Amino acid sequence: MFISTGTSSISAAAQSVVAALPHALWRADQMGSYQGVVTASGHPSLDRELPNGGWPHSALIELLLQQAGCGEMRLLQPALMRIASQRRIVLLQPPHLPQIAAWDGAGLASGQLLWIKAARSADALWSAEQVLRNGSCGALLLWQSHVRGEALRRLHLAAQASDTLLWLLRPLSAAHESSPSPLRLTLRPARNGVEIQLLKRKGPQHEQAFYLPLAATVAPATAPAVPPPSFAVPDHDTLDRHTPAAAGAGNIAPALV
Amino acid sequence: MLAVLEHDQVLAMTPAAAASGVRPGMRRGGVLALAPQALLCERDAAREQGARDDIALALLQYTPEVAHAEEDSLLLDISASLSAFGGRLALCRRIRDSIQALGFTPHISMAPTAQGAWLLARHRRRMPRRSLRLASLQRRLDGLPFAILPAARAHQEWLAGIGCQTLADLRKLPRAGLQRRSDKHILDTLDRAYGSAPEIFEWVQPPQAFSAWLELPDRIEHAEAVLFAARRLVLQMIGWLVAQQLAVSRFLLSLEHERGRQAIAPTPLEIALGEPAWHEEHLLRLLKERLGRLQLDAPVIALRLQATQVAPMLPPTASLFPEPGGTPGAYARLLELLSARLGSENVLQPAALADHRPEVANAWQAAGDGLCRQTPGDALPRLQPQRPFWLLQQPLALMLRKHRPFYGSPLRLLSGPERIECGWWDGPPTVRDYFVAEGEEAACYWIYRERDGDDIRWFLHGLFA
Repeated sequence: MFISTGTSSISAAAQSVVAALPHALWRADQMGSYQGVVTASGHPSLDRELPNGGWPHSALIELLLQQAGCGEMRLLQPALMRIASQRRIVLLQPPHLPQIAAWDGAGLASGQLLWIKAARSADALWSAEQVLRNGSCGALLLWQSHVRGEALRRLHLAAQASDTLLWLLRPLSAAHESSPSPLRLTLRPARNGVEIQLLKRKGPQHEQAFYLPLAATVAPATAPAVPPPSFAVPDHDTLDRHTPAAAGAGNIAPALV
Repeated sequence: MLAVLEHDQVLAMTPAAAASGVRPGMRRGGVLALAPQALLCERDAAREQGARDDIALALLQYTPEVAHAEEDSLLLDISASLSAFGGRLALCRRIRDSIQALGFTPHISMAPTAQGAWLLARHRRRMPRRSLRLASLQRRLDGLPFAILPAARAHQEWLAGIGCQTLADLRKLPRAGLQRRSDKHILDTLDRAYGSAPEIFEWVQPPQAFSAWLELPDRIEHAEAVLFAARRLVLQMIGWLVAQQLAVSRFLLSLEHERGRQAIAPTPLEIALGEPAWHEEHLLRLLKERLGRLQLDAPVIALRLQATQVAPMLPPTASLFPEPGGTPGAYARLLELLSARLGSENVLQPAALADHRPEVANAWQAAGDGLCRQTPGDALPRLQPQRPFWLLQQPLALMLRKHRPFYGSPLRLLSGPERIECGWWDGPPTVRDYFVAEGEEAACYWIYRERDGDDIRWFLHGLFA
């Protein structure tokens, strides 16, 4: 391993070694790399800023949200879609009820979802560790507001032993706490997109927050292509209904007989 | 301090009792004079037999050929099990662990002949108790004292008088004379031990159904402490399952409470497995999580374990490469484990209903129920209106400021309305106009306006994420 103090000061011998072994030298202004696999985030401008060009597997990824619902699911949607085509996605202690219709509408297979509710933070962390150790799920999204440092390290270790993608979603106030996670992003809502700042990554420091346009929440105002109503297909939905309680008519109470 | 009596004579005692001078063969009065605080109990042949049966059942997981032998011994034919359990040392270690988990201390030896192994195990000295070849076994047997042969004990004085000390001396005696003047079982046993006569065994047959009972030494008040005792029963069940080539899919642990006049009905703890299993580790983890959630009403004095539903044991998958998503069995085990600790109502999978009301359509059911309903959209692809990822548990009433809904900041309506009028058959009808609204900090909300009556009421119902 060489340490370069300046491009010009590398000796000729060192340069020949570097030419032969391009991975032996890492310059501080280059993007770092992971040993493991990554899943492309589906947003080319974000992929350019991430080491290896995607969300790393087997690592703890922290997303620090200004508020729940500031575009985090739309940001993850392309990656989740890729995972959901083969493996399961676990939602652990989400802040609100996940809506099945939204998953189906976003092109994600809702049958691959598993929603775990945990009453206590300790239960949630235990469940996360079990999911990671089990390895039958492709992605784990964990919502936690207060996590202690040793719990984070434990999660990161558990993630390293599995090939599951692990996103930990925390409030923005946790940005000042130290964390063993190799990739930390803050998300702030922005019009038709999200404002991302990379707090920590393998590679040069990321100074400026950048705007990432996301698929619009509201469909464009142009009239949607509604098929003309045909008389052959009735324009009604069939609904699931409770079976009505059986009417007790005709039965005389046995006490009266 | 404890001593076991048989026919009013001490048979065995604890080290503490031995330190205070209690010796085998002492009378009851002598023991009480030496150690007044010692507890004396009679030997219980039925319970000893029960303990031997329990151990034999637990050891059936290592080999199907387990036989009872004289003087509290068990013989295991492990010639077919050596490579399956990682060699003889690993197998010995596992057998020792299993027996110790049942609460007994084994003396284990290994030899090419069963009688030879029995003799090595009976000779409780610190010497290697493993012989792999017949020649080394014979050398080792030659040095053992002849008194460990049960048949020779009756003639101990006579044999010692003619200069016999070891088994080798016994074998050097003329066979015809020895047989005439003593028990013929001496020669039979020696021949079998030295490998010159065949051996015949009566193997233990596992019972048709499994139900094991264990009396606890003390009253247990904490559910977690039951796990230690339950492990003994689980070990027996695993031996039974492996011997029958079965896997358990449902088992019942009954925690028995006070009997007699103030009898309390036992607490049943039924554990259903998504995937039949026979592994100790997995069954114990499930039990541990379930016991951790249990609140005991009364102290437990006994345990009963029953395998209520079994299925044929499936061989491990034969595919060469592991599947990336893990096996379906791994996922089923995960669901079981999570449900055992969190409760099945907290581990959910989607079960969408065909309904226009979002809170009714967004139905979830306990995962692992198997029955996953088809989403209604699959049947007929239709234009799905925009739905937010998060739905609030309860719609949140919004304030009005300048005739506009306000949530942190004034909300600007982006699209809508989407009119939902539904559910008149379930009580008060739902009459709402849904809008997508945006706050000042550019977050999108799903809000609705209720249309009953004259006053306008706005509610927040979802968050676009």
